[in-house]
Amino acid sequence: MKNIFRPVQHLLPGFRLSNRNQNQLETSYQNIHQELIDRCRQGDRKAQFQLYKVYYKSMYSVCLRIVGNEAEAEDAMQEAFLNAFRKIDSYRGEVSFGAWLKKIVVNRSLDCLKKRRVKFEEVTERSAGVEEDNRQPEVIDVNVIKRAIQSLPDGYRVVLSLHLIEGYDHEEISQILQISNSASRTQYMRAKNKLKEILKKEQIYSYN
Amino acid sequence: MKEQDYIEQLIGANLDALNDAEPADGHFERFELKLQQQKQGKVFRLQSVLKVAAAVVFVLLAVNQARIYLLPEKPQQFTLANVSPEYREVEFYYTNAINSGINDWKSLVDAGLVSEEEQQAMKNELKDFEQRFQNLQAELSANPNDERVINAMLEYYQAKLSVITMIVTKLQEAKRQNNTKHEIEI
Repeated sequence: MKNIFRPVQHLLPGFRLSNRNQNQLETSYQNIHQELIDRCRQGDRKAQFQLYKVYYKSMYSVCLRIVGNEAEAEDAMQEAFLNAFRKIDSYRGEVSFGAWLKKIVVNRSLDCLKKRRVKFEEVTERSAGVEEDNRQPEVIDVNVIKRAIQSLPDGYRVVLSLHLIEGYDHEEISQILQISNSASRTQYMRAKNKLKEILKKEQIYSYN
Repeated sequence: MKEQDYIEQLIGANLDALNDAEPADGHFERFELKLQQQKQGKVFRLQSVLKVAAAVVFVLLAVNQARIYLLPEKPQQFTLANVSPEYREVEFYYTNAINSGINDWKSLVDAGLVSEEEQQAMKNELKDFEQRFQNLQAELSANPNDERVINAMLEYYQAKLSVITMIVTKLQEAKRQNNTKHEIEI
């Protein structure tokens, strides 16, 4: 079974699941920064700034992976925060605040890509070569992985980030990017192959 | 459950570190500035709305004042009823009696018992009464407690009722005489 909490567990510093009934997990989020959130609802600028401090790293990482450019990523992240504060009254606590914020951040980042007219082209299943590789991962410097992800073509990078890191399924990705489900899967497979290729090269260089 | 491949495992193992990117120096200051601008924008919008609302209220008040100032004052309908409840009853009695007399007059006109000349004479009489009534109303509104004006108003009603009753009675009498004469001839 897919872990539905995975997208929020790894990147949401202000989030924990309550200890109530397991069946209620999806709707019983408790934000440990609830007091900050409440103050933000009242337009408290200090609270907004504090909340930014809590979430900026994870949100910036999301932006950077999608837009692939530091300046644009920072701008998209900050605009997403401002947008979230403007419509904070619509946050009903059905998901964690971080998950709610991340959705806004992802949308904002995708808007940036749209402005750049990035196309997520349809790829037929036949053209997608899929290499199975079940090696155990070696210890690779995380900066190398980050660089490798950043060097992926836009389409690959976005699909790989949304699926593998943000936890969106292919159906969701196909709706967000307006491509078919199979195109999303194929882009993902290709992205993984490309990433593997880049990492291999990086390792060869690092050994030399 | 699908087995994770090399890349999936690699990313999974480094997930926390991958979400730890730091924006360029000065991002806190830049965000603080944006927050400030957003707040000012909000205040500005609120001020604009208040300004527009104030302008609308001012225009409405000005139009209303101009209307009051420029439009001719509507004459106040001041009659005996405004003086006291007793006079209201008296006035009610006279106006009812006068209206009843005028209705009788109209039925006689409809029956063809009133000549054109008599109709014109009655019209002039009523017009004259109306003119006197307006004068008395103006006097009464200027001096509501002046007994002389109140008496004049009472006399006016009495006179108007007497004239109308007299004319109607005369015409009805003439009508009866005509009917009797006609019966005798038959």
